Amino acid sequence: MSKFKKLFYSQKVAPYVFVLPFMLSLIIFWAYPLISGIVMSFQDISFGKRTFVGLSHYTKLMGDKFFAIAVGNSVEYMLLTLLLMIPIPLVLAVLMESRLTKAKGVWKVIMYIPALTSVVISGMLFRMMFSEAAGSQMNQLMTWLGKTPIAWLKTKWTAWIALLLLCMWRWTGVNMLYFLSGLKSIDTSIYESADIDGANAWQKLWYLTLPLIKPTTIYVVTISVYAGLSMFLESFMLWNGNSSPKNIGLTIVGYLYKRGIEKNDLGYACAVGMVLMVIALIINVIQLVATGTFKKEDR
Amino acid sequence: MKKRWLSILMAAALVAAMPVCAMADEAAEGEPQAVTTVGPEDGTHFEMWSFVDAHNEFYGKMVEKWNEQNPDKPINITFSTYPYSDMHNKLMMSLQAGSGAPDMCDVEIGQFPNYTGDDCPLYALNDALAPYEADVVQSRLDVYSKADGTRIGVPTHVGASVMYWNAEIFEKYGLDYKAVKTWDDYTELGRQLKEASNGEVFLTSVDTGGVDWMWIAMAEYGEDWTGGLDGEVNVQLDSVKKMMTMQQEWLAEGIAMISTDGHIDLEAGFKNVSEGLVASFPKAMWYMSRFTNYMPEMEGKYDITTIPVFEEGQKNSVGIGGTGTVITDQCANPELAAEWLTWAKLSEEGESYIWSVLGFDVCNSALWFDDAFAFDESNQYNTFFRVKPYEVLQELANNDAIGTIYTTSVSPTLNDYMCTTTLNEVFEDGMDVDEALAEAQEYLEMELM
Amino acid sequence: MARTEKKKDVGNHPIATGLVNLMWVVLCGLIAFPLLAGLLASFRPGRELVQNGLAINFDFTTMTLDNYKYLFGLAGGNSKVDSAKYFMWYKNSLILTILTVVLTLLVCYFIAYGLTMYKFKLQGLLFFLVIATMCVPFEILMLPLYQEVTTLGIINTRAGVILPGLCAASTIFFFRQYMQSLPKELLDAARIDGCTEYGISVKIMMPITKPAFASMAILCAMGSWNNMLWPMLVFRDTNKFTLQIGLNTLLTPYGNNYDLLIAGSMFGIIPILIIYLIFQKYLIDGMTAGAVKG
Repeated sequence: MSKFKKLFYSQKVAPYVFVLPFMLSLIIFWAYPLISGIVMSFQDISFGKRTFVGLSHYTKLMGDKFFAIAVGNSVEYMLLTLLLMIPIPLVLAVLMESRLTKAKGVWKVIMYIPALTSVVISGMLFRMMFSEAAGSQMNQLMTWLGKTPIAWLKTKWTAWIALLLLCMWRWTGVNMLYFLSGLKSIDTSIYESADIDGANAWQKLWYLTLPLIKPTTIYVVTISVYAGLSMFLESFMLWNGNSSPKNIGLTIVGYLYKRGIEKNDLGYACAVGMVLMVIALIINVIQLVATGTFKKEDR
Repeated sequence: MKKRWLSILMAAALVAAMPVCAMADEAAEGEPQAVTTVGPEDGTHFEMWSFVDAHNEFYGKMVEKWNEQNPDKPINITFSTYPYSDMHNKLMMSLQAGSGAPDMCDVEIGQFPNYTGDDCPLYALNDALAPYEADVVQSRLDVYSKADGTRIGVPTHVGASVMYWNAEIFEKYGLDYKAVKTWDDYTELGRQLKEASNGEVFLTSVDTGGVDWMWIAMAEYGEDWTGGLDGEVNVQLDSVKKMMTMQQEWLAEGIAMISTDGHIDLEAGFKNVSEGLVASFPKAMWYMSRFTNYMPEMEGKYDITTIPVFEEGQKNSVGIGGTGTVITDQCANPELAAEWLTWAKLSEEGESYIWSVLGFDVCNSALWFDDAFAFDESNQYNTFFRVKPYEVLQELANNDAIGTIYTTSVSPTLNDYMCTTTLNEVFEDGMDVDEALAEAQEYLEMELM
Repeated sequence: MARTEKKKDVGNHPIATGLVNLMWVVLCGLIAFPLLAGLLASFRPGRELVQNGLAINFDFTTMTLDNYKYLFGLAGGNSKVDSAKYFMWYKNSLILTILTVVLTLLVCYFIAYGLTMYKFKLQGLLFFLVIATMCVPFEILMLPLYQEVTTLGIINTRAGVILPGLCAASTIFFFRQYMQSLPKELLDAARIDGCTEYGISVKIMMPITKPAFASMAILCAMGSWNNMLWPMLVFRDTNKFTLQIGLNTLLTPYGNNYDLLIAGSMFGIIPILIIYLIFQKYLIDGMTAGAVKG
């Protein structure tokens, strides 16, 4: 008994005790469904009947032009959100932490509220703001600028402005929150010594804050890669459904829904999902290896 | 102190993980709840889902009435209202998983093709529908059927398409919309309206995000781009070409506008209608409730007639949209469920609720000619419009003017391509109709092979 | 760095201060605009929103409390029923969110602790799996998971909603990234003092991980409050539905209940905002300099 106790408290066994819930959950709620999902991607599924169809879903995917559009849109969206949603919230977080900013609490709350607003209502609000009707807010803005009203959601680049603004509106505050808590993990004495060495604000940001906040940045990049690739809700909100003119808002997950749910072709939908998983995994593994997050010494 | 308190609290919560979940579940069950189960406890129990709360209220009322009239076979139903698309998602999953499906469920018409295959998990309703078959609008039963004639859904309403006119506008400019019989008359009226109003009022709005206009055209020529329940898809139909070409001309002439945000059954559409930017439009009967709910100030201003035709003598209406109620193969007592369901939705008692409370054009067409039922002054729709809606329906029935467009397994792909691509190309970009339809046909054939 | 006293900091430049705060005013004004429009709309009849869109006008004569009266069941008629339903969804969401946040944070914290603070064989593989679980679309797990939860007998229960998402990879990952930047010397010091491995994780590390706890609590609460897909699949009983499910039932192909939807959505922000206000205190606390140097 005491031997067992000793073992239980040893540094060798402790990590396994800590990660035990994860391993259990992984096996029960992830590995099993995932394997079922993989199997399903090789099957035709109808009520109570499954037929094995080999690779045919995947070969069909290769020639599916709408899938190509969906992948293109999702990748594009992911890249654009990475470009916008990492630097901007980071700078905002640093500014928020600086002594320049007054009334911090107020700004933080306002930045964060959009993420709390229910999807139904925020979708409706944005749809109305970007409506092609002359009276919509964005078109009123165009009129003030002396331009003619635009059918915002019908051409790709204007629709994507709306899409990216919606994304930024909803998630800037959240990403800023990640960076804020990352900034908190930095030992403040470092800045004091930098001050003594006469470093200016930019030098401190570039040589101290950025490298020290790297783990948080990597985290935000990793979740943004998947979030960008799997975007569906924003598009659904903006076009009030899964259909956008000329599929300018079609994403991989949107296509998965079209196939799996609207057309009851779960096998094909699973194949679509697998491709999404593989793309996201490849990008993230490359990114994490490149930034050294996988390296053991880095711990 | 604070730290310790925090860690103790958290540790306690961890230990309590599972029991807390269970306890919270039980606690919730012990509290007073909104009533979702109707009927005596000893009645045969069913579970029923819908995506419209008002439908469940209606079914609840019908359970009470049924139990009054049938004390020998009481029923008891638990109702759940789910969000629209998610309910269909969940229904399909539970049917595929083989457990967890409800006994009865409202299913939107667009979802039916998913259930018309060989291994259909739905109960055949032919026997239960037999007593009502003669009185019910046939096309509405047909759209919820499999190719072999198996009926799998009980219809809620006809959704007959009719023409809505802003009579006040036409009177203001001294134009007679009632004389319009054909689309040529309609186009001419549009020209007059444009001139009279200085281009401020559009005759109608053309949809890029909905296929109602195309359905109407096909119904008029008796065509169907889905090819029916066992035919082949063909979008290169004369009716569709004619409608698209005509609408392109309207746009070129400035008679019509493109529906804001795609179609007229959206917030922006209601605005255009209530502000009088659009003076007329064809839409299903159920659009009436949009007036009473969102545009009450239009009371007395709007008139309803039948839709113009391309050539006289054609059918001029088609059932659009709809909800069929199904019984799943997971139901333990489908005969009783079917008996109640068909009674609730198609008997006079049920239909009078559907008309007076839900505001739908009922499927039991025998009642259309029952004045007490159809022209009841206490019904808000009979006083809201310049015509009693059933007068228009009677006219349609007398001329046997309601056509059928099927919703089949090709429909989701077809509608999706039309609403995302073809209609936009034709109306927004001014693409040649034949070219756009050829492109659509090519895509659909490739996709559906 | 806001807490440290810096004599020659740029914080003393009035122009820079003015510019930065002006930026916040403009930025937050833009962000608040749709919210304000929504808030104003909630004081108007639903059909006015439908017809006039978001036009912001402070015409107080047309403003009314009707939507909120309706929401609180004070308007008579149908409103009593709808109000009872709304607050039932509200309560369900609250319970579910609180349970989810508390359980998820604790479980994920300990997992991340084990994953970060030790060197062991499976470490690399497990961390890879954490990343992998973040890359799998939930939609392909949905059907098998639904069948599994049914088999386990936790369908239609809160456990069924919470358990599959308990070991949230993104939360584990965040804790891991946060802990990485913390000094490991603390652990050895505690070991020398005779603290057990488990004791260290609770007594030493947990307090200095507070900012991570705070931000994850906020994020997790938000995720749970807004989550709809999975709870909807698990719950079969209307009395267990959450606010998001409920609000979504107000939009149907046969017309939308805008009155309840707008007021209900706006009022639905409040509890989650309170959670934010509670936890953001801990965000500010940060890492105590004393603990590090000690």
